[in-house]
Amino acid sequence: MKARGRCWKFGDNIPTDQIVRSDRALVSMEEMRRHVLENLNPRFPKEVQPGDILVAGKHFGQSSGRAVAPKALKATGIGAIVVEYAARLFYRNCFEIGLPLLECPGITAGVEDGDILSVDIASGEIVDETNGRRFQARPVDPFLMRMLEAGGIIPLAAELAEED
Amino acid sequence: MAGMTLVEKILAKASGRSKVRPGEVVVANVDLLLMHDLSGYLTSRVYEAEVARPMRYPERVVMVFDHHFSPPTEERAEILEATRAFARKYGIHLFDCGSGNIHHAAVQNGFVRPGTVVVGSDSHTPVHGTLGCFAAGLGNNSHAGMVMPFGKAWFRVPETIAVNLSGRLKPVVTPRDAALWLTGQIGEGGAVYKALHFRGPFLEGLSVWDRWLFPLITIDVGGKCAYIDPDEKTVEFVRALTSQPFELYTTDPDAEYVEEQHYDVSDLEPQVAASPTLGNVGPVSRFAGAPIQWAELGGHGGGRLEDFRQAAEILKGRKIAPGVKLNLVPSSREVFRQALREGLVEALYEAGGTWFPPSTGSNQAINMGAMSQYEAMVSTHARNFPGRNGSPKAMMYLGSAYTVAASAVKGAIADPREFLG
Ligand code: SF4
Repeated sequence: MKARGRCWKFGDNIPTDQIVRSDRALVSMEEMRRHVLENLNPRFPKEVQPGDILVAGKHFGQSSGRAVAPKALKATGIGAIVVEYAARLFYRNCFEIGLPLLECPGITAGVEDGDILSVDIASGEIVDETNGRRFQARPVDPFLMRMLEAGGIIPLAAELAEED
Repeated sequence: MAGMTLVEKILAKASGRSKVRPGEVVVANVDLLLMHDLSGYLTSRVYEAEVARPMRYPERVVMVFDHHFSPPTEERAEILEATRAFARKYGIHLFDCGSGNIHHAAVQNGFVRPGTVVVGSDSHTPVHGTLGCFAAGLGNNSHAGMVMPFGKAWFRVPETIAVNLSGRLKPVVTPRDAALWLTGQIGEGGAVYKALHFRGPFLEGLSVWDRWLFPLITIDVGGKCAYIDPDEKTVEFVRALTSQPFELYTTDPDAEYVEEQHYDVSDLEPQVAASPTLGNVGPVSRFAGAPIQWAELGGHGGGRLEDFRQAAEILKGRKIAPGVKLNLVPSSREVFRQALREGLVEALYEAGGTWFPPSTGSNQAINMGAMSQYEAMVSTHARNFPGRNGSPKAMMYLGSAYTVAASAVKGAIADPREFLG
């Protein structure tokens, strides 16, 4: 599982309320996608391309744990999210909806907005093709890789419920 | 072999094992799924659109319409109607508009019992660890895909941090001040993925509703869950609310922690946490004088009886400042009834406050409108993130009910000790 595209870089402690405004949590996914993260970078929802990589700092996706925030990000077609570390519920939600997320301490200092990144989800290897730097993210737990490969929790749930 | 924490014991039992260890992934039986009108609607859509299976244990699913005490638009009315129809179709419990906020309504109606696994879409779900539950927030897809059709959920067993609280609060400094302060001490992201075991003489000395304010901060320090070992106070509290049986689990003395932290609350001043995050917390003097137009006792952290009692200590016989709106939002119907009996409804009304139906208050700008970019609120809410209550430029200050009341009188953030003793 791999992704390659433009790096969109954001800061630390971004709450889900800033990814999608909480008072708009019930609008259509299309509408949400058109406003995703616009408060922090108005260009992002307009210019993001399928495969692009969202990079952010510490505790990304804190606050409300509703899955519409990662779903709106997934709807943009981004290939992966790479953060210093993520809020727990946001982390869980990403894998449950089939959106790869890597935690890579040091990533925000090493890449610039606009760089071209390539990301190997399974190995955790990240290459900044613009400045030539390489990064190693924390490996994704095999259980979560299995969920990503299945396309999220829903396709996997019956299997899991019977296993245990 | 080392002993187990309360969370490890509950997860072991719920997954049919004799022992679990931090880091293991388990699939566990879920005793209670809690959703409010927003998460309930979103989850119901995912369930109907993507999960073609019957609901396994509808009696374990509880929905509380707390973001709406009445729908402001036709579109919202339709969303609530669709969610009601969903609740009827599957036979799940529904607490309709005006029942209170999700967490208080669930507790007051006896759905939260020690020793159980409680999940919800709401990120403050860990608050139920107060009663000795394993309680964690999950996403819509977990609920729709696994809890509803199978009555189960997957969990990674968390490592646990022990948070020891000792000391005595100074007058007019409240457990809410201590909890806000503690958010800054543990730090945002200070407990990511961890379980927090709150304990120690200070905590044990508190009433259950005051203890409740500590697990409430779990999400803001990045934790997965928090808990307090149940004691006689817990048992008495739960017995008064339900006749259903429950099992008590407590932490073994030799359980393993990744970290032990110690805090003494004795020197604390009243605390305020200002936007943009709860980590932006400090003594009230740091923010004193900042103008506010709105003051609210309500939201998911507030609207408790204790909050109205404290506010009345300051507001009885006084008037709030011209231009200030004081919103009074009980967290449950029981709280309103008791506030009536104690004369608090009248006292706070005479001071200039406005009572609203039991709900989550103005949280998320749904029930009670939004703030403009020029406005600021001081409240007992659980959150102060930009954009949550209208304009992303509107300010939200969180404080104790004393601080909210004092600030309402002054029209600016104020130290409640100016009014009391
Ligand atoms: S503030 Fe209220 S709606 Fe928001 S996560 Fe907390 S309990 Fe839920």
